[in-house]
Amino acid sequence: MEGATDQVIERPKWKKVAYGGMQPGYDDNFTDESFLEEMVMNANVVKRDLWKVMQDSVSITQYICLVALVVSVWAHTLSLNIDEISLLKLDVGLIALGFSILLLTTSQLSVQLLSRYFLNISFFICGLYILAPIYHTLTRSISSDSIVALTVSLLIIHLFLHDYSGSTIRPPGALKNPNLASNISLNASIVASVLVASRLPSRLHVFAIMLFSLQIFLFAPLITFCIKKYSNRVHLGFSFALMNMTLSVVCQLHGMLFVLLLGLLLFISVVCPYWLIRIQEYKFEINGPWDEAKLCFDITE
Amino acid sequence: MDQQRKHRILMVSDFFYPNFGGVESHIYYLSQCLLKLGHKVVVMTHAYGNRSGVRYVTNGLKVYYVPWRPFLMQNTLPTFYGTLPITRTILVRERISIVHGHQAFSTLCHEALMHARTMGYKIIFTDHSLYGFADVGSIHMNKVLQFTLADISQAICVSHTSKENTVLRSGITPERVFVIPNAVDTAMFSPAPNRLSCDEIVIIVVSRLVYRKGADLLVEVIPEVCQLFPNVRFVVGGDGPKRVRLEEMREKYSLQDRVEMLGAVPHSQVRSVLISGHIFLNSSLTEAFCIAILEAASCGLLTVSTRVGGVPEVLPDDMIVLAEPDPGDMVHAIGKAIHMLPNINPHVMHSQMKKLYSWHDVAKRTEIVYDCALQSSDESLLQRLPRYLKCGAWAGKLFGLVMIVNFLLWWLLELWQPAESIEEVPDLVLVQNEHEERMQDFVEAQD
Repeated sequence: MEGATDQVIERPKWKKVAYGGMQPGYDDNFTDESFLEEMVMNANVVKRDLWKVMQDSVSITQYICLVALVVSVWAHTLSLNIDEISLLKLDVGLIALGFSILLLTTSQLSVQLLSRYFLNISFFICGLYILAPIYHTLTRSISSDSIVALTVSLLIIHLFLHDYSGSTIRPPGALKNPNLASNISLNASIVASVLVASRLPSRLHVFAIMLFSLQIFLFAPLITFCIKKYSNRVHLGFSFALMNMTLSVVCQLHGMLFVLLLGLLLFISVVCPYWLIRIQEYKFEINGPWDEAKLCFDITE
Repeated sequence: MDQQRKHRILMVSDFFYPNFGGVESHIYYLSQCLLKLGHKVVVMTHAYGNRSGVRYVTNGLKVYYVPWRPFLMQNTLPTFYGTLPITRTILVRERISIVHGHQAFSTLCHEALMHARTMGYKIIFTDHSLYGFADVGSIHMNKVLQFTLADISQAICVSHTSKENTVLRSGITPERVFVIPNAVDTAMFSPAPNRLSCDEIVIIVVSRLVYRKGADLLVEVIPEVCQLFPNVRFVVGGDGPKRVRLEEMREKYSLQDRVEMLGAVPHSQVRSVLISGHIFLNSSLTEAFCIAILEAASCGLLTVSTRVGGVPEVLPDDMIVLAEPDPGDMVHAIGKAIHMLPNINPHVMHSQMKKLYSWHDVAKRTEIVYDCALQSSDESLLQRLPRYLKCGAWAGKLFGLVMIVNFLLWWLLELWQPAESIEEVPDLVLVQNEHEERMQDFVEAQD
């Protein structure tokens, strides 16, 4: 290339083509000025706003609060502070609350869909009632320590894999199907509830606590999803009320747990969003003609 | 003639015949032309089925089928050091001077290049494919490539787009990357002796029917084209997971008599499929070069292709119609191609292709790269280690460690079986020549 300075005027312009053999006047390792001209950097990077990210993180803290509430109810039931009758009252109250929220927030509900829901829930309750004696004696031969350890690890798996943006139970009008991770998460929570229920003294206890935990794990994500879709303000208000309630309940249960939960909530809603914004400056995304083309239509298998 | 050095080249890749594809034919044709230029070429690949050991193919090209089994997509299991003894033995036995590896996802290639570098050989690497930067698989492959290219003499890419991609992925300086495209065996892909009539226009598709080759685009494009142009017929050669979708499309629009599905077409029959049509349709979503387009153009077909990767560089504008990878634009491009068709003479196109591409030209340009590589200075391990350390905070140290261990292993092997004790292989071709010369001497003496 160096020797070609006197030929600069004569030699033809370099072209970005592969045909026709070696281009006269240019070596094969010639690098033109147009090299990497078509490279685009950080084309799809979204500017994130701290306040918006903090609001989005509320979905996660809200669900963690729900799980913490379930765990405190479990703890109170296991120490026999709550009897089975008040548990059943709680269950009925929760079903009524859930349906009223669903009715208020979803516009697509029809009588047909509602009756289907009712039918499904009655089947579900009957099935649970029939199975309660089996759950009652399920883990009799296993020590309580193992059960507690297993329950805690299952709940951690549940929280890790939970689909915080959607709902495993498909809400009316949702397009996306739940993925594998969220299904595993749901199953982990159900196994955890069965394990806890099996340590209780009576069949009615088992039935009541199972119904309670399944209501929360199966339907609470659906309800919160509907609330969020209905109005973001209501969602935020509801979440803050829930957080306060949870913190006070946990505070009565155990001082250390309260500190832990408070720390976790602050970490998720304040530290993590700030952290995410900070590390955005390290984002480095490269696009160019070598990228695989994306199809502009949906593939319907 | 004297100053022109004759090289002794080892081509390494997991991909070689009997497997079939772009890399395989590239290695084969390049080796054949290098042999004709008087160099010695040996190919090293892994065993295919019961094909293991040494084989000679056309013109005395020697192929080592190393007895390692492929474990995934025709790749050998990455063991880092497992292939060191056999690579070393081949390098010494064949008195190799340059090692030339092919294809970024061939583990055998990366390992052999690493061993060759440890032993102080000059190495060349040819990249045949494009990678993105976003998904986990690409990130891993790019790190492996960075490791191999950290201490390479020269790299070769098949298109300018591929060069840009390789430079970005590996951080190598662009001056050390050469662009040498693929070529096509124009003698094998000649047009039909008689020109086809233009009453019925046949569009040919020959590709594996997978997502990356744009089979989903075909599903959208074919019915629309059939509806717009009543005299068009499609012939689709190739098999793959998306074949079912194409067949469903054919049923849905009742195009059974207008879309012919051939299934997998062996490479020897590709020409006979190509010459039955007027237009070749390529719908790939990513492509570093695309030899299929060359084969079609050599058979005198007008090509319609998606504008992806290196495809726009492959043919001059009067031989190809490019479209964005979007069904609407592709239908438009096919319409344009049908309009252009009366002005296309397959035999003229074939002779034009002869001028544009030849493997002989590719071999000559590769020869220059080899000369370049041999001119670079010899360096000790300590001089080379800093290059690996530059590859990243953690990866750099890991790469350096891998190289040091490899060096120690090589040293151990030298103690266990000194290089002098490995018998060198006599050159088959040279022996033949000597024999001929002696025969000539003998004949002359008799006269």
